[in-house]
Amino acid sequence: MYAFLAPKTLEDARGFLESRPNLKLLAGGTDLIIGLREGLVTPDAVMDVKQIPALTQIRQTEDVLEIGAAVTVDEMLRSGYLSGPYHALYEAGEELANILLRNRATLAGNICNASPGGDMLPACLVLDAWVETIRPDGGRRIPLREFFMGPKRHVLASDEMVVKTVFPRAAGKSAYRKKKRIRGHDLAQVGVAGLLGADGALTLAFGACGPTPICLDVFDTNTQSRAEILDAAMNGIAPIGDVRASKEHRQEMARYLTEAVLDAIEEVRV
Amino acid sequence: MKAIQLTVNGGAYKVFCPEDITLLTLLREHLHLTGTKEGCAAGECGACTVIYNGKPINACMVLAMEADGAVIETIEGEAKDGVLSPLQQAFIDCHALQCGFCTPGMIMSARALLDENPTPTRDEIVHAMEGNLCRCTGYEPIIRAIEQIAGGAQ
Ligand SMILES: Cc1cc2nc3c(=O)[nH]c(=O)nc-3n(C[C@H](O)[C@H](O)[C@H](O)COP(=O)(O)OP(=O)(O)OC[C@H]3O[C@@H](n4cnc5c(N)ncnc54)[C@H](O)[C@@H]3O)c2cc1C
Ligand code: FES
Ligand code: FES
Repeated sequence: MYAFLAPKTLEDARGFLESRPNLKLLAGGTDLIIGLREGLVTPDAVMDVKQIPALTQIRQTEDVLEIGAAVTVDEMLRSGYLSGPYHALYEAGEELANILLRNRATLAGNICNASPGGDMLPACLVLDAWVETIRPDGGRRIPLREFFMGPKRHVLASDEMVVKTVFPRAAGKSAYRKKKRIRGHDLAQVGVAGLLGADGALTLAFGACGPTPICLDVFDTNTQSRAEILDAAMNGIAPIGDVRASKEHRQEMARYLTEAVLDAIEEVRV
Repeated sequence: MKAIQLTVNGGAYKVFCPEDITLLTLLREHLHLTGTKEGCAAGECGACTVIYNGKPINACMVLAMEADGAVIETIEGEAKDGVLSPLQQAFIDCHALQCGFCTPGMIMSARALLDENPTPTRDEIVHAMEGNLCRCTGYEPIIRAIEQIAGGAQ
């Protein structure tokens, strides 16, 4: 039995983070509610982040694209912001489960769940996103490339809450490709995102190819051939076999999907 | 226990319920609206689909407390004055149900789609129904029933 808390301001949320040591944060609930139901998490209190107006914002400025921690994946897809260099986020969002879940699931929830196969994570990594957090005594900015520690493990403290995910201004084109068993109902067997900058710099990131999502920065498409890039990328990942796919299948798929990502983003090169 | 207020099928409800139950349990066991089904209780099957503030969602993936102030439509709101809606009739006419367990969820997903887009293409229908599993029909009759409505029977 847990208490349900729904603060309406960041100040109230901070108060609960301080006063309730065994608290769990609830965004869309599509991971948390399963954990609660199965008894994998047993908090004294569940704090809904969606009543805090600041967290429901999505906005683009000259320098950044900011997505509040309560914004759903479907709201992101409809926002009109996920084009050009941010297109991989669009493609990842479209691959995340199905509309019933996308109407609840959030980007911040996907990040904080820290599954190695979370669909939004490779796109966030190639775009060099960070999260901004609050804690009882302040807050910080954490680059996602330093965020993931292992399967379902991250660097957040137990009294820390993500308020938004921020994407720096980017140029170029990005893409995300996913292999799964059943459309609409499965985490990635492998997911690959790529960002090709206007200068030919290529960043790749892989989901479900290691204990955390893996980001490989940076290839130079001006000097490296596609075969060299593919070989180097495959050396940079370490997939395992599990219920979703064997290690060998993942290795093959990672290569195949990387090629598909390159096909999608290299079209724009002059 | 906490009191929450919500609107279900146009009716206002005030409910006093435990803080750790889902919206699905609230609908079925507290409001006795058992048309919404529990298949998996884990977001997998779509049998619990309801329209929540205008969007189709899995009622098993929402806590009852989150629904304070929400406007919800369930399968019980689909027929009016004892007369099936054209969408429900199309499901019957097209043999889009066998055991019927998935049907309330199927209809609510289709309802949400048609409310937003009255003339969806076949691809749009398939995409919108991805979250709803059916173990009996093979899906084709369900798609045809929705196509029939999208074609103008609404
Ligand atoms: C049937 C099904 C299919 C799925 N398919 C996919 C899929 O295809 N691809 C995929 O990537 N995922 C999938 N998922 C997993 C899930 O939907 C996603 O991970 C989703 O993005 C989680 O977001 P949420 O808002 O629902 O998170 P929640 O469940 O609310 O939270 C997830 C975790 O993050 C913590 N948290 C939430 N908000 C914050 C915050 N602001 N600060 C700090 N911690 C926070 C929670 O305490 C919890 O531990 C699926 C889930 C189900 C049930
Ligand atoms: S009962 Fe909710 S999705 Fe299966
Ligand atoms: S009619 Fe039996 S599950 Fe769909």
